[in-house]
Amino acid sequence: MLVKHRMSADVWSVQPGDSLAHALRLTREHRIRHLPVVQDGELAGIVSDRDIRLAMPSPLTVADADRAAFLEGTRVDQVMTREVITAGLLDTVEDAAKLLCRHRIGSLPVVDAHGRLLGMITETDVLTAFAEIFSSGGPSSRLEVLIPDRPGELARALGIVGGDLKLNVTSLMVQPRGEDGRKTTIFHVGTIDPREAIEALERAGFTVGWPSLEADLRRGMDA
Amino acid sequence: MSAHRTALIWDPSVTGYFFRPDHPFNPKRLELAVSLIEALGLAGGPDTPIVAPRQATDAELLRVHSAAYVDAVKRFSVAGADTSDAFRYGLGTDDTPVFPGMHEMTALVCGGTIRAAELVMGGEVTRAFNICGGLHHAHRDRGSGFCVYSDLAAAIAWIREAHGSRVMYIDYDAHHGDGVQGIFYDDPEVLTLSIHESGRYLFPGTGFVDELGDGEGYGYSLNLPLEAFSEDGSWIGIHERLIAEVAEAFRPDVIVLQNGCDGHLQDPLTHLRASTRLYEETVRIVCEVADRLCGGRVVATGGGGYAVWTVVPRAWTLVWAGLSGQHAPDAIPREWLERWQGESPELLPERLRDAVEGWPAVPRRDEITATNRRTFESLRRQAYPLLRGWGLGF
Repeated sequence: MLVKHRMSADVWSVQPGDSLAHALRLTREHRIRHLPVVQDGELAGIVSDRDIRLAMPSPLTVADADRAAFLEGTRVDQVMTREVITAGLLDTVEDAAKLLCRHRIGSLPVVDAHGRLLGMITETDVLTAFAEIFSSGGPSSRLEVLIPDRPGELARALGIVGGDLKLNVTSLMVQPRGEDGRKTTIFHVGTIDPREAIEALERAGFTVGWPSLEADLRRGMDA
Repeated sequence: MSAHRTALIWDPSVTGYFFRPDHPFNPKRLELAVSLIEALGLAGGPDTPIVAPRQATDAELLRVHSAAYVDAVKRFSVAGADTSDAFRYGLGTDDTPVFPGMHEMTALVCGGTIRAAELVMGGEVTRAFNICGGLHHAHRDRGSGFCVYSDLAAAIAWIREAHGSRVMYIDYDAHHGDGVQGIFYDDPEVLTLSIHESGRYLFPGTGFVDELGDGEGYGYSLNLPLEAFSEDGSWIGIHERLIAEVAEAFRPDVIVLQNGCDGHLQDPLTHLRASTRLYEETVRIVCEVADRLCGGRVVATGGGGYAVWTVVPRAWTLVWAGLSGQHAPDAIPREWLERWQGESPELLPERLRDAVEGWPAVPRRDEITATNRRTFESLRRQAYPLLRGWGLGF
């Protein structure tokens, strides 16, 4: 899944010489938080509604009319961030997620090799993609399976569920780093009756949680 | 308890809806339930007629299923048919295998629920119970979760077509009623209300509070997902308010009720922990609402229920007694126990109602009850203001 599949290509932008009043109006009208700043087609900076509000004089000390005049009289390039963290069309969504987390920011302008603005990808776009990846992929039962962190173990579990029992695995998530040498894996199995799968996995030495492996959730219910 | 003339839709031929001997959706449970109802003398009288189902017509099936799907099911019905494309239609799986005659058998189940609706809407009876019905996972263009065609949707569509009535569908099977919800997702004249174990772990993985319908039908799909290990206490308490409040606002002309009994403690496919009290109380609540708002009209079906010997016969006997306004004595007749005990792999209970006093307490009961209450409040906040009658009747 690539940035180009998840970004918005149709985005609002401002120019360096536009007023803060204009920029603020755009963020409110279109319910957006970030505006890329574009000069001659190229990305020159980014300005957020927060940047604008932080630049504004306090309403406690300055009259409304003067605050409005400040917004009209101040240029976007006076408050914008010039060092913009960007993504490319062919970056993966997980790359974008990493950048958003590492820099604690809310969106990435998407640019081509020449710095031309192609779109924006926001934390909401990334979160939506991740929620989809975690989803069940169709009518299914959700099993949590502890898989030893050794080559062949995941294949063995899948061989039981998908091979021996011929059940459709509609979605699969494998935790990258396990604890105690085991990884929690979430199988969505396309059946209303996962009992046979659970028994077969347990017989083969896997620990299975249904409804969950979480001890707090199952407390006292294992009898 | 007010008695209403109530029909039991039954004929032994419906046990032909049969996938394979070791399949959990075992028609034996129907035979057991009906024989228990009969052993208690609760059916077959002038006010409790037993009526045979009829075959649903193609036109009746095509109101709720795509032509491509019905054609495919017919094709797979022939012994030795090529089933290489069955998976595309949700069939040929371990859950919903193909079997010879599957079209005819499922059409008979659908016809049973339509027959129940005909009797109720025609005024011949006030309520009817198609015990073999309740196939709530069947979708417009594919089967799923033991369900080939949707008898429920076919009956609701028949009611809409023949009478133009407003239908409230209530489903308290432990699994989300995703098929019926999907088929009427954009229809404001059919309100679907499903109460089930959360799809967070359980099949089919849907049925969350924010699934509210679409387009004109936005606000007319309601879902209350319960926590795993929920018990009678929080479940019945929610039914008492939820069903009455939604019905007051929606003002149905008839209620269609799916009585899956797989939320019982002993059911092997779910994590809910209801007792037989749930079935008795829910039917009482629904019938009271129906008496008050829609002339008592209830079209009821069976549904899930995989504790074939120990739960299903008792649960559905209580459902039938409640619908028909009869008192069911607690003692299970000796001749019924003797007739079936030899075949049963488990010791058959001797009482119709569970003695919950002996059941182990759920350690997280308070937390589970509180979470269910919060889910209910969240549903009230999100869904009620969208109902057109909300605020008028209160």
